[in-house]
Amino acid sequence: MSDSWLIVNLRAIRGRAYPRVVGATREPSWVFFEIVLPLFTVAAYAYIYKFMDARGELIGYVVLGGAMTAFWLNVLWGMASQFYWEKEIGNLQLYMMAPISRMSILAGMAIGGLLSTTLHAASTLIIGAIIFDIVFHIGSLYMLAAIFLATMVALYGMGMMFASLYMLFGREAWHMSNLLSEPVYLASGFFFPVKYLGAWAAAGASLIPVTLGLDAMRQLFFSEGSQDAFLSMEMELMLLLGLCGLFLVLAKYSLQYMEYLGKTTGRLTLRWQ
Amino acid sequence: MAVTHDLRTLKNAAWLGWQMESNWTDPFLFAVYSVVRPISATLILVFMYMVVTGGETDNAYFSFMFVGNALYMYVAEVLFGVTWVIHDDREHYMTLKQVYIAPIRFYSYILGRSLVKIAIVTAGVLITLVFGVLILGVRIDLAHVDWILLGAATLVGMGCLSVLGLALGGLTFLTAKHSMGINEGVAGIFYVMSGVIFPLTALPLWAQSFSKTLPVTYWMDAMRRALMPDAMAELSSSSGLDVTGLGNYDNLYVVAFLIASAAVFFFLSLGIFRYADYIARKKGKIDWTTSY
Amino acid sequence: MTGQSAVETRALTRVFNPKSKREGKPVTALDTVDLRIESGELFGLLGPNGAGKTTLLKILSTLLLPTSGKAYVAGFDVEKQFLEVRKRINMVSGGEVSGYGLLTVKENLWMFSQFYGIKSQLANERIDQMLETFGLSDKRTAKVRTLSTGERQKMNVIRGFLTDPEIIFLDEPTLGLDVSASRVIRRYIVDWLKDNKGKTVVLTTHYMAEADELCDRIAIIDKGKILACDTPERLKKMVRMNTTLTIDVNAVPDKRVFGTIPGVGNFTATDDPERSVTRLKFVIRDESGVPEIISKIIGQGSKILSLQKTEPTLEDVFIKMVGKGFE
Repeated sequence: MSDSWLIVNLRAIRGRAYPRVVGATREPSWVFFEIVLPLFTVAAYAYIYKFMDARGELIGYVVLGGAMTAFWLNVLWGMASQFYWEKEIGNLQLYMMAPISRMSILAGMAIGGLLSTTLHAASTLIIGAIIFDIVFHIGSLYMLAAIFLATMVALYGMGMMFASLYMLFGREAWHMSNLLSEPVYLASGFFFPVKYLGAWAAAGASLIPVTLGLDAMRQLFFSEGSQDAFLSMEMELMLLLGLCGLFLVLAKYSLQYMEYLGKTTGRLTLRWQ
Repeated sequence: MAVTHDLRTLKNAAWLGWQMESNWTDPFLFAVYSVVRPISATLILVFMYMVVTGGETDNAYFSFMFVGNALYMYVAEVLFGVTWVIHDDREHYMTLKQVYIAPIRFYSYILGRSLVKIAIVTAGVLITLVFGVLILGVRIDLAHVDWILLGAATLVGMGCLSVLGLALGGLTFLTAKHSMGINEGVAGIFYVMSGVIFPLTALPLWAQSFSKTLPVTYWMDAMRRALMPDAMAELSSSSGLDVTGLGNYDNLYVVAFLIASAAVFFFLSLGIFRYADYIARKKGKIDWTTSY
Repeated sequence: MTGQSAVETRALTRVFNPKSKREGKPVTALDTVDLRIESGELFGLLGPNGAGKTTLLKILSTLLLPTSGKAYVAGFDVEKQFLEVRKRINMVSGGEVSGYGLLTVKENLWMFSQFYGIKSQLANERIDQMLETFGLSDKRTAKVRTLSTGERQKMNVIRGFLTDPEIIFLDEPTLGLDVSASRVIRRYIVDWLKDNKGKTVVLTTHYMAEADELCDRIAIIDKGKILACDTPERLKKMVRMNTTLTIDVNAVPDKRVFGTIPGVGNFTATDDPERSVTRLKFVIRDESGVPEIISKIIGQGSKILSLQKTEPTLEDVFIKMVGKGFE
């Protein structure tokens, strides 16, 4: 192997992304599930607001939050807990033996899952906007791109950090992902402005990148969004950039440490824990 | 004899289900997990409600929404739980074929496994309701609960949900790994269309007609009428209109419709399961794996 | 780094501690194992279930850390220089179910090649060549989930060799396979070593015949300890059993002539009137006496009906060392 470390890892990312992309396209039924079914949850919450004669923005927040759940779920199920599944089917040891960074494998999973995730998010946003008559007033496209990108990098960095824990987990992995679904929807204000949780709770929840990302996106998508904002967009972008650095560094060391722990205790290749 | 055999299968499957559900961690963490999940799911709605109303929870609609959401856990978890048994045994532990060829009724095994789910969800529902009553002022008064109606509705509802889960489980034989979305989707349909967290009257008329064909709609209504009869009466009387969509029907009528719709779904679900099972055997999909 | 051995372990020990007392006592899977495998060897590890073979392989393939002691692969420390080790190794286990059912054989193999940074074109060339060698060309585009057990294992073996490792660890690679599939794999292993001087194979197996046939040297391991390590021939000589030559002839006029043949110990002659056969059994100390035995039989006008040579087998060695056969 004479190619540089970067080239080798880029190939690894491509290799790991491949089964995700190909696998997803070989079972066409996924299109229906990713597009239509998530709308039901969004619709339910939107109808609550409608029944209560709430402001139009709140229904818009539900649609936006519903779209963003796609990314959170991908982080939880498509990345964080994935090492557990790989261990159970016997792939993890093959990955661990390969001379590549663990982050490359995870990045490959993330990128491979982006197709279905993006479709899920985009379709929820567009169809939800049509059904519930939501009008988006995008303030600044550049700002939106920056916020979205920073949120994704920080979020997936967080996912990589979680993945290191999941390497050692047995069946706790599946339950942990379940445990982190609804509480994060609550804490991050997926379906209502996070500031209504109170300043301290919102501040704590801001450690989850999607909290700040959603709050900023609400300000960008909706003209009245700033009245429900926790912090200004600019401040949220700065914090998100900080979280990017923090989680990527934490992920690197956490993965190294957890792998070391797994090899010491023998749990790296232990199935059916 | 066959009944004894089925009961034994049910018992053994329930034991296995309990092992699978509970021994992945220590009891304390398991208890935390069982409490935190249902309550946080409910709190999402509570905060959504408070954003609009400014925090007033002592009214009939809040109780309607809270109780409905708590009871919905049965719908989501039972449907999911039954499907997950097949998925887990096939993709993960690869024991499905061994269980399948054993001289037991396969759906007895599935239902036994899901019994445990029902038990665990019941704990979650009770914890959520107690939390709601004590902390948020949800209007459940034990002195006014209609226990007979509650018992009847619970029995019919659980039976219907279990068999519906079986149908979805049968479909799992035929679909790829991401087919867990099937049961999420069906549960989502019920969430929107069965008056779980908002009355049927919030939906368009065509949707209301569809809602009235679903057993979960009647089950939700019957359970609310049993648990909080006063709040349900207030909901109708305060506006003079049929707010819930079923307000013009009395308890007996609702239960009758529940039984009738449940019976239809019962036979439909069994039919779907049997057909899916047959096709899966024909196409050799009983023990295929689809991980990617 | 150490000298040029492919694998070296020094007082290698691995203890597994249970999470709680309820789960039992600590298990010593490897107990001060000292081993040296030279480059170019096909080295065998023989041992019963639970002997420590897989644990040793996991340490050498950087999946597990030792509790104490040292292990070096290709001169690199498996603990501190694991990245360098990984660039030079691969592993194939018997009964592997890894891979993705939805992908084709070629796609699965290509994917794993990418984790070793192999260029796509080169990877695809190797894959096609190896599929041809293993008789799986017609399965190139078949989904992995449709493969039979033997085909799947062949695919796994291809995956291991595809990256052209310096050292390959084969953990019971023919486990559960039929005769023809096992033969294909064994032949490939031998040819690979012949065509790639300096490469090393470390093989664990339950099949005595496989170890005897393939391995340059064998280590017998039980309860985490290496009991013996030598060539198959020298291991068999450790078992003080004689070679027996059994010859069935139609008649022998004069049996006394066999007593004077050098290298022949005892002999017996048993007549079977019903079959009209005389069975001669010779205990041979030295095989140079065998031609003289044959010529004396033929010299008397007798006809040899059958001839069978019985010598100590690896199983005899194993039973002597371990005290039991394989379960």
